[in-house]
Amino acid sequence: MTIKRLLIAAAALAYLGFLAVLGASYFIGFKQASAWPPSGQEQIIADKDLPKVEKNVQQLEKRMTGLLPRGLYIVIDTAENKLTLKDGNKVVRSAVVSCGSGVVLEEPGGKKRSWIFDTPRGEFSVKTKITNPYWVKPDWAFIEEGEAIPRGMEDRIEAGTLGDYALGFGQGYFIHGTLYTRLLGRNVTHGCVRVGDEDLKAVFKAASVGTKIYIY
Amino acid sequence: MKRIAALGIIAAAGLGCLMGAVGADKVELAKKQQALNAEYSLAKDANFYFVFDVPGRKLELRVRGMALRTWSLQSMRFWGEPHFAGSVELVRKTALKAPERIVITPGETETPAPAPAPPAKPAATGAATTAADFDLEALELRDMPKRFQLGFDNGLNLTIKAKDAGSRGLGGTVRDAWRWYIDLPLRNLFGAKEGQALAVLELVFEDEKDAQSIYWHFFDGIKGIIL
Repeated sequence: MTIKRLLIAAAALAYLGFLAVLGASYFIGFKQASAWPPSGQEQIIADKDLPKVEKNVQQLEKRMTGLLPRGLYIVIDTAENKLTLKDGNKVVRSAVVSCGSGVVLEEPGGKKRSWIFDTPRGEFSVKTKITNPYWVKPDWAFIEEGEAIPRGMEDRIEAGTLGDYALGFGQGYFIHGTLYTRLLGRNVTHGCVRVGDEDLKAVFKAASVGTKIYIY
Repeated sequence: MKRIAALGIIAAAGLGCLMGAVGADKVELAKKQQALNAEYSLAKDANFYFVFDVPGRKLELRVRGMALRTWSLQSMRFWGEPHFAGSVELVRKTALKAPERIVITPGETETPAPAPAPPAKPAATGAATTAADFDLEALELRDMPKRFQLGFDNGLNLTIKAKDAGSRGLGGTVRDAWRWYIDLPLRNLFGAKEGQALAVLELVFEDEKDAQSIYWHFFDGIKGIIL
């Protein structure tokens, strides 16, 4: 009976001890929380430095504004498969597109090459504008279809696949048309950005070589 | 005499308020300068970066000073040292079920190409909305986790989750409650394992797509500013 009581007392003490430690941790936590967000009092500026700081802030704001793209630019959201043609903050046109599928293609056999079908992300610019573009099928297009890679260039050329227009933005990537319009809005491409006919026409007409493209 | 004293008190109080306001302005100016300096150092390159405005409760993906995407927080809570503001770099992105790329090796897996659709009609620009419901062999936004952790180089750990991406089952609820109400307070009291002060923020977003798109857009190594 005494042992049982001792055990109960020890358990109760351990429990109370645990509660005390937990209470202390909550006390510390709430104390930290009361200091949040930091007041910034340590950053206070001396009166003599005030004009200098104000000038510095103005200069920084001016520099930041100078970084913004001028004129028309294209923004592509690869997650939402959305292309937006913008002029400053104004949306000129918005389009549903298809971006890279993220699939990895591995070459069977000895060479063991592989390709990741991602739309590249970053800041680009329109490098080429092509009307009635042909698709020069790269090696992966044949490998994907289980076909032999042709030796001659003429066997790689395919007309009509890319739609009526193409805007090249480097490294073999294009904003172009598509036959697969029902897949617009989905991530299905090999890295290029597929756009519906009407939207592509509008973007092609509006953009010029040098137009900035932001893909994220 | 009393009137003069009252006027004196009012004048002193007014002066005090004015001094306080000037002080507050100075603090704001100092903060603005610091934030602009930090952002300019990131924005002058073409890389994407993020700005996490904690008091403003929003997260932004930016490039060249331009906000590409803004996510508004529904709620947030935190444990630990509140001094996590400043320039940071994402060093770790972890999820219970991280999405994996589909690997295709022709001859081993057959992937039939979708058939071309009939030529688009001018009125059918919204065709994409009808294409939304079938599964594709692709890594898409819908495959991204609705709940994950972002670890930064200053020790800050962000848990991002969608409102309805709650704990799964009773076990999950108990585990989450244990972590938030017992484990983290105790770890905060006794110190974090890496020797850095504990700083854990949990951000909850209304729409599950918000959480998923953060996972999509925040890549390892992305730099940012926490205000």
